[in-house]
Amino acid sequence: MKLRYYEDMNLQELDVMKEIGSIGTGHAATALSMMLQKEIRITLPEVSVLGYEEAVNRIGNPEEIVAAVLVKMGGDIDGLMLFLFDLDFANTILEKLMRKGCQEFSELGEIAYSALVEAGNIIICSYINAFTQFVGVDIGLSVPSATINMLGGILTVPIAEYGYETDKLMYINADFVMEGRMLSGWLLMLPDIRSLNDILERLGVAK
Amino acid sequence: MEKELKVGIGDMKLTRGEGRIITYALGSCIGIAFYDPVIRLGALLHIMLPARFGTDDNNVYKYADTGIRETIHKLTAFGMVKSRTVVKIAGGAKMFEISGNSDFGNIGLHNRDRVRQVFAEEGMRLVAEDTGGTYARTMVLDIATGGVLIRTFGRAEIKL
Repeated sequence: MKLRYYEDMNLQELDVMKEIGSIGTGHAATALSMMLQKEIRITLPEVSVLGYEEAVNRIGNPEEIVAAVLVKMGGDIDGLMLFLFDLDFANTILEKLMRKGCQEFSELGEIAYSALVEAGNIIICSYINAFTQFVGVDIGLSVPSATINMLGGILTVPIAEYGYETDKLMYINADFVMEGRMLSGWLLMLPDIRSLNDILERLGVAK
Repeated sequence: MEKELKVGIGDMKLTRGEGRIITYALGSCIGIAFYDPVIRLGALLHIMLPARFGTDDNNVYKYADTGIRETIHKLTAFGMVKSRTVVKIAGGAKMFEISGNSDFGNIGLHNRDRVRQVFAEEGMRLVAEDTGGTYARTMVLDIATGGVLIRTFGRAEIKL
């Protein structure tokens, strides 16, 4: 039986998504670690199926300003990948790559902004590379698109994109830990329902 | 403390006399403020999609067409008169631009067009709007005056 909604997933299916998530985030952490030349660990990812308000509250508050890099998936899996991070995370990257952070997102210069977009893109691509190898699918990725804006407005993008199918987001998230400090970056993989069914089927756990 | 009502996504709140109704961080969604100045009755609706078709979803406020009509229905029960009611809208942004995929993220535009169309059909006045762009908006309706404030990141607050 195919899933109609994200919340129809049973515990075993959620576990499988968590497992794939941890492989993906592991690779993403390695990529970030190489970029920053610092040891980066990740916490075990959590997989949750959340409504819009819950997803916003999990990350922060609706008016909080965050940076976001979005990539559209196509090919065998359709959906979105979204990487969100706060100013602290951005500064960690900028201090390493540009030797200079910023006090506020509004002060970001063009080059610093591009550096952040690229960092986000690398994290997303390494996640997807690991994912495609493990699940055995081909995923095409669009060029990254980025914004620095209110968290609530950013999360309405996937919510509206799938709004005719569901009110929920499947949220696979892990925290990055650098030198004992937690970095607030959120990696969200958002396959559409058809693709989620396909993933579960390929892994032999579909109901 | 002054009364403040919060409106979530796909939701509507109404009140009368005084206080404020607020909805946060509208992206491609549209916030729609209704205000009848004579009886100081106001409502704020937060829609997400243009039209309810081919779905059995009973959340009417999620869609522009059913949401606006249901809000009009509720407000009328509280004494709203269409001809003296003013409407202001905000939102309908395109948060991300994906090159080579011009269709992606156009939902904001479709939302705005649909909202305008429904008000035209209903014969109601859309007096002000702040729509489009690439940024999120927080919208506040002041029930005492009917004024609408729009808050964004990195831009001055505007009054509709």
